[in-house]
Amino acid sequence: MSTMPSALTSQDPKYLTNNAIRRKRLSSWFYGLCVAIAFVSVLILVVLLAAIWAQGQSRLTVDLLTRAHSELEIERSGMWPSIIGSLIVCFVCAMAALPLGIATAVFLEEFKPTSKPLRLIHGFIQLNIANLAGVPSIVYGLLGLTVFVYMFNVFGQIKVNESPGLEIMGADHYYQVMTLQPGHVVFVPQEDASVREIEITEPIEAVDNSGNRFELAVWKPGTPRPKDEATKRQTIEEGAIGGTITRRSWYYFRLPLDKSFLSGGFTLALVILPIIIIASQESLRAVSPSLREASMGIGATTWQTVRHVCLPAAIPGIMTGSILAMGRAIGEAAPILVVLGATVMKGGGPEHLMDNAITMPVLIFNWAGRQQNEFQELAAAAIIVLLVVLLILNSTAIIIRQKVQKAHN
Amino acid sequence: MAIQLKNWTLPLAIAALCVAGCGKKSDTASTEDGAATSMTEEGAAAPSNMAGTIKINGSSTVLPISNAVAEQFGKQYPEVSVSVDGAGTGNGFKDFQVKKTDISDASRPIKPGEKEKCTENEVSFIEVPVAYDGLTIVINPKNDWVETLTIEQLTKIFVGEDAAKTWQDVDPSWPAEKIDIYAPGTGSGTYDYFHEVVVGKSDSELRKDMSLNEDDNILVKGVADNKNAIGFFGVAYYEESKDKLKAVQIINPKDGQAYLPTTDNIASGSYAPFSRPLFIYVSLASLKRAEVQTFVSYYLDNVSELCERVGYVRLPASIIEKGKANIENRVAGTHYISPEGETRSGALEDVFVESNLVK
Repeated sequence: MSTMPSALTSQDPKYLTNNAIRRKRLSSWFYGLCVAIAFVSVLILVVLLAAIWAQGQSRLTVDLLTRAHSELEIERSGMWPSIIGSLIVCFVCAMAALPLGIATAVFLEEFKPTSKPLRLIHGFIQLNIANLAGVPSIVYGLLGLTVFVYMFNVFGQIKVNESPGLEIMGADHYYQVMTLQPGHVVFVPQEDASVREIEITEPIEAVDNSGNRFELAVWKPGTPRPKDEATKRQTIEEGAIGGTITRRSWYYFRLPLDKSFLSGGFTLALVILPIIIIASQESLRAVSPSLREASMGIGATTWQTVRHVCLPAAIPGIMTGSILAMGRAIGEAAPILVVLGATVMKGGGPEHLMDNAITMPVLIFNWAGRQQNEFQELAAAAIIVLLVVLLILNSTAIIIRQKVQKAHN
Repeated sequence: MAIQLKNWTLPLAIAALCVAGCGKKSDTASTEDGAATSMTEEGAAAPSNMAGTIKINGSSTVLPISNAVAEQFGKQYPEVSVSVDGAGTGNGFKDFQVKKTDISDASRPIKPGEKEKCTENEVSFIEVPVAYDGLTIVINPKNDWVETLTIEQLTKIFVGEDAAKTWQDVDPSWPAEKIDIYAPGTGSGTYDYFHEVVVGKSDSELRKDMSLNEDDNILVKGVADNKNAIGFFGVAYYEESKDKLKAVQIINPKDGQAYLPTTDNIASGSYAPFSRPLFIYVSLASLKRAEVQTFVSYYLDNVSELCERVGYVRLPASIIEKGKANIENRVAGTHYISPEGETRSGALEDVFVESNLVK
């Protein structure tokens, strides 16, 4: 008995009860504090959403979803081109970032090198990726500007009136000449793309908008001017200058990419790549080693193990990471502003691979900075639309993830 | 494998959406042609078959004007694609110098350095004023002591580190309250213009203890909530918040009279020296192209009406006509830089004359 600590032998029941009450009270206080802190963040979100809803709900109209930005009819401005633009840019981003990110994660997790110098390189890559995840997105915008928009100028610079860059496919060049009929033009097919403009003094073969070829007449000042419209439409003044225009098919492709939606998508891919890699790595790491060892044990190669055991087991986790990353990509404004510019006047989505696109965050940024009250309300309404689009995309992805999980189990 | 197939459904769904989206053009271009064409020349009701691409970059102040013109132009010439960016006057000129754009929007005249770069790269341009912006000095409506300000008083308030700390320092009859200043960011053309007016040719700088913000809405709010505040920004922002702010009358140094930044006072030049002209700079090489030529003449024909609809003040018809003549005759060069490379300043009518033109 004498070896027992005095605290256990000589207990004061009163003190013990008081102490227990005190500790329990502290515990419940702490619990209350946690709930309060959790509520603060929820409260902020609710206040934010309520404020946006109050400001923007009156502008949630069909016009908002179907029309384009309008400077002259503000109340009928819409965001259709930006919804399409955002979806396409995010699609490009996903196509670039997901395979690259998951492949990198598989390499880093499943193909760990054994020799010392290779291990060092492995560690170095790992460290870099962790650092890249913390780089502000505007830095990626500047990176995208050099790498995708200008491509280090190795393919030449795109200059108006001089060089369209290195055109690979989908471009038809014509000289556009004004006819005697005001507002009407004809096109002269271009043979040598390096000659950017011609002066027409002799009759020459031309095409109209529907592609019919005809002989373009030349009117010399001083001689009688043609009177009827049909002739005027096929006659030009002597010495008229034809400047190059380009008819672009949807698959029009040239280098450098310039301010195209592809550049935007690739830049966003750079932004979210580290997030996808880290999330994928974590979920691959969470796959039980016994699964891997069992697979190896029955004679599967590393690739077979990855393909049939690790990846299927890690897919839900990888998808969760990807969903979060795509949510970030669709809401990014800064890198897109750097890469695609602040253009908001566009009638629709991109028409060819090299076309510009406007995205929802950039449009919201532009609208929120305008002085007119209508634009402020439109910005709030556009935020609601952005949230809804994000919600739809995320829930689709979550449903797919659920199905994949079920199929796997 | 079923799992892999299903992973593709989301991307595929998005791809399908994208394809659907690409095909469908929004209906702004096609509808309401009636309203659009009523103001253009005769016989132009049918959309033109003109094609081509026009690239514009530059001042975010001029952006709404160029957007408005491009929007109206697009109804008449649906095949011409006009892309208008608003990266700022300086960035716009950077693009313009290296032939990335056809037209550069500017909320201040070109600077000597920018002109040198243009000459180096063989870019000649035509300088065309398109509208007036009245820089408005605003105070809180509860401020009952300030009605008018002279340029000297503004210099006292805004310039140098020893600038007036309280209103009393500016005028002994005013209260000894601290002056709070709200101003646009240093990168903006508005800041540059204000700086040029109050500092002039001397080396001094605007005081450093101002609240600077690129977002003019924040400046409006700052002044509206603070009795002792003063701020400045473009007249378009003032027009939208008239009930929350009070515009200060500025004493015109030439005739000693005080003027409010009203449309009439800005257009007549009485609201000097704070009515600033806005410009477009058109590349001479691009002007050979039919679409650029058509767009620029459309711009000058319609800008006076359209700039008022987006909150700016129209230029006197004589100046617009002069701009048109310069475009017509391909008169390249700037009026704002002397042959010795010095910047000229002054009222638009005085500077924008043929004798000042320098190639």
